[in-house]
Amino acid sequence: MPYDKPLPKINPDNRPFWEGCRGHELRFQKCSDCGHVRWPPSPLCPCCHSTGITWLVSRGMGRVYTFAVYHTAYHPGFAADLPYTVAVVALDEGPHLLTTIVGCKPDEVRCDMPVDVLWEDVDETLSLPRFKPFPGDKEHDEP
Amino acid sequence: MLVDFSGDDAVFGHFGATGGYALAARRAMHEFGTGPETWKRIAVGQRTWANLNPAAMMHGKPLTDADYDNARWVVEPLRLPDNCLITDGGRAIVVTSLERARDLKQPPAVIMGMGQHNPSTAVAQSTWMAGPTGARQAGEAAFAMAGITPDDVDACQIYDCFTYTVEITLQDYGFFKPGEGLDWFQGGTIEPGGRMPVNTSGGQLSEAYFMGLTPIAEGAMQIMGRCGKRQLGPATRTRSPAIILCSDNGGILQSNSCILLRRS
Repeated sequence: MPYDKPLPKINPDNRPFWEGCRGHELRFQKCSDCGHVRWPPSPLCPCCHSTGITWLVSRGMGRVYTFAVYHTAYHPGFAADLPYTVAVVALDEGPHLLTTIVGCKPDEVRCDMPVDVLWEDVDETLSLPRFKPFPGDKEHDEP
Repeated sequence: MLVDFSGDDAVFGHFGATGGYALAARRAMHEFGTGPETWKRIAVGQRTWANLNPAAMMHGKPLTDADYDNARWVVEPLRLPDNCLITDGGRAIVVTSLERARDLKQPPAVIMGMGQHNPSTAVAQSTWMAGPTGARQAGEAAFAMAGITPDDVDACQIYDCFTYTVEITLQDYGFFKPGEGLDWFQGGTIEPGGRMPVNTSGGQLSEAYFMGLTPIAEGAMQIMGRCGKRQLGPATRTRSPAIILCSDNGGILQSNSCILLRRS
């Protein structure tokens, strides 16, 4: 069955992020002046307005900051997934990433629950970072 | 259109306002223990007001606690009655000087204080979706300009895109402390006969969604005494309103304005 969900809109700002995803690397912009790590990608640092950018590769670990369980398909591509869990994951490196939680039922998700990235290869051009419960708290940074 | 508005959030199945406010409401459940038991009091209370308002879309459609509990999830933790209505229509406010207003047929509602604060940050990057939102500073500015405190307010018309928005806005304006909303809303606080009537037209949850004009028009109409069966005062066993607070809110808790109206 062809992939029928919305696709990312690639632009010069977010291209390194999505190209990183293809190689299963979660890349975030880090401000070369104040050090703030941000998402989504943007030309200016939201903290200090610097245009200086380096790219950091995340370990792909974090905690669920908050989540929402969709019982409504606002796009037909998601109808078969209901109910599904959208979450904001606070990565250990700092940025908050909007993503989906997989690998557990929606009623098992909790705020502050440790999670790590699980890559979904949609096709040869697109891989999506999803997150799953992290088994145990060992080696996981405190928030 | 919703897909276009949602940008790359749509890639992950995240769309529109209900999803955004569901994220905020869930974080609030985690941070200060709110939840559907609090929001039910808002949805049911406002519906009671709507049933005194013949112009309300939900007039004649009572909502019980059981109706709320049994309503379907839209985006959990928000059920259908936690969501505002979708409305075609219009509403207008005439703003003029107090001197001119005194010559008009209707008594004026006088603006005694205003405040605005716009934290702007998108919900996925927000760390204050459980408060303090922009309502904290907007409220402080409006109360300071008016020289009053929340204790002086007789009723509130709060921008209610979702039930949770009513709770967090009143909390950030200082009507109760974080997590005390459940107790504060119990016992019909915001309903006819209550000690702090809220959204007396039914609001956007139960009257009609006219964006910021739903609350502000109702605030002005109540001050003017033009609200018929739902009129604050003896008709609804509430205080006759000398001061009414109205709020507006934009984005996913990204902007807030507060306006205080008084009788002339």
